[in-house]
Amino acid sequence: MIDIIVMILFGIGLFSFFSTTVGILRFPDFYSRMHAAGKGDVFSSVVMLLGLVIYHFHHPSLDGVLVAIKILMISLFIFLASPTATHAIISAGFNSGVVPWAKPKPEEDKQ
Amino acid sequence: MIWQFDLLILALGVLCALASISLKDLLSAAIVFGAYSFLMCLLWTEMGAVDVAFTEAAVGAGVSTVFFLAAVYHTNRAVKPRRRGRLLHKLVGLVTAACIGLLLLSATADFPTWADPNSPASVYLSPFYITETIPQTAVPNIVTAVLADFRGFDTMFETSVIFVAGLAVLAILGSYGRRQRDYEPSPTGQDAAHQSSIVQTACRVFVPFMQLFALYVVAHGHHSPGGGFQGGVILGASFILVAISYDLRVMQRRLRERLAMLFAGLGVLIYAGIGALCLVLGANFLDYSILHTILPATSPIMARSHGMLGVEIGVAFTVMAIMVIIYVNVASHGKSDRGL
Repeated sequence: MIDIIVMILFGIGLFSFFSTTVGILRFPDFYSRMHAAGKGDVFSSVVMLLGLVIYHFHHPSLDGVLVAIKILMISLFIFLASPTATHAIISAGFNSGVVPWAKPKPEEDKQ
Repeated sequence: MIWQFDLLILALGVLCALASISLKDLLSAAIVFGAYSFLMCLLWTEMGAVDVAFTEAAVGAGVSTVFFLAAVYHTNRAVKPRRRGRLLHKLVGLVTAACIGLLLLSATADFPTWADPNSPASVYLSPFYITETIPQTAVPNIVTAVLADFRGFDTMFETSVIFVAGLAVLAILGSYGRRQRDYEPSPTGQDAAHQSSIVQTACRVFVPFMQLFALYVVAHGHHSPGGGFQGGVILGASFILVAISYDLRVMQRRLRERLAMLFAGLGVLIYAGIGALCLVLGANFLDYSILHTILPATSPIMARSHGMLGVEIGVAFTVMAIMVIIYVNVASHGKSDRGL
């Protein structure tokens, strides 16, 4: 039972890591790439760390629970720090005048 | 220890190293170098050298990247265009490099072969540390015992080297004691109002936990990975975080440069003082076991453990203060008025 939950969580995490990577490579400009990196990174790492936490309840012992609590604290840290860093990078980009990508106008598209 | 994983990390590390020396933009090179340090940290964790990995993560990937960025910010981002050397110069350089390389290669023949069971290190040195650390010092973390007790001299001079590094930065950049400059807001608006309140709030939440964790790393250094160097760097990093997210002045209201310099000296003094105390009590320099005569309720074995804690605290003082001093001086061009 625990194994199945862990596998599902890891699967979700891996899939969203994959889509994060695709997003970073494929999105057109700085802001949308940071959007992919910030959101996907946090979500997938937290999900995978939760998977690790649950994995440690396989053999419930004091050591396992302590490790699980430490992993939970790490995921809390990621949950707070990574969006802040993304915000800081994006606002730095905005302040130094990186122009957001806009969809090309349809007239230009036809030419 | 999964060798495929090791190989992957090593290949990525080599790629990062090559990228960081070939990049033309120094800012990108500094960031890639940080990534390289982090990969090295992963590799060491994989190989079981957790203490080294911890140091690399804190110093290499963390603080020194910030130092590089600060230095790049105040100098030039682009690499200087390389001058065309004359053929003679190139030839002399090539011959010198080849000769020294050959000399070094010939010296490697005297080394014991890789993982040789008959080399001096594996005949008596490592087995001694592995079997004798707990009976002699009651410290479970062998690395800390070797660092702070068996080879205490080395660590004392490492601490002094860090102290001297801080002094060198002050001597080159600092205006310490010469004149007090007035605070002038940066022309690009790089002061407290510039940073968004999200970053400031997040840092305000983190800093107490960082400092608590740093104290834990220092105090728990002989039971788990960590120790004075790592804890000191994390403590220093917490001050640097305040300086980055607010500005240098807010940080200096908490820790003035004069006080930081005092802390740096105090750390070396604590380390050498504990050594000298052992000398006064009639044992060898840094032989902590004699300290049981003045510490209450300890045996000579526990006294060595406590002595290690004492010198680790000294190391943490010095490292923390020097990290802050280097950052302040590099980031503000020695004027210590405004940060990045």
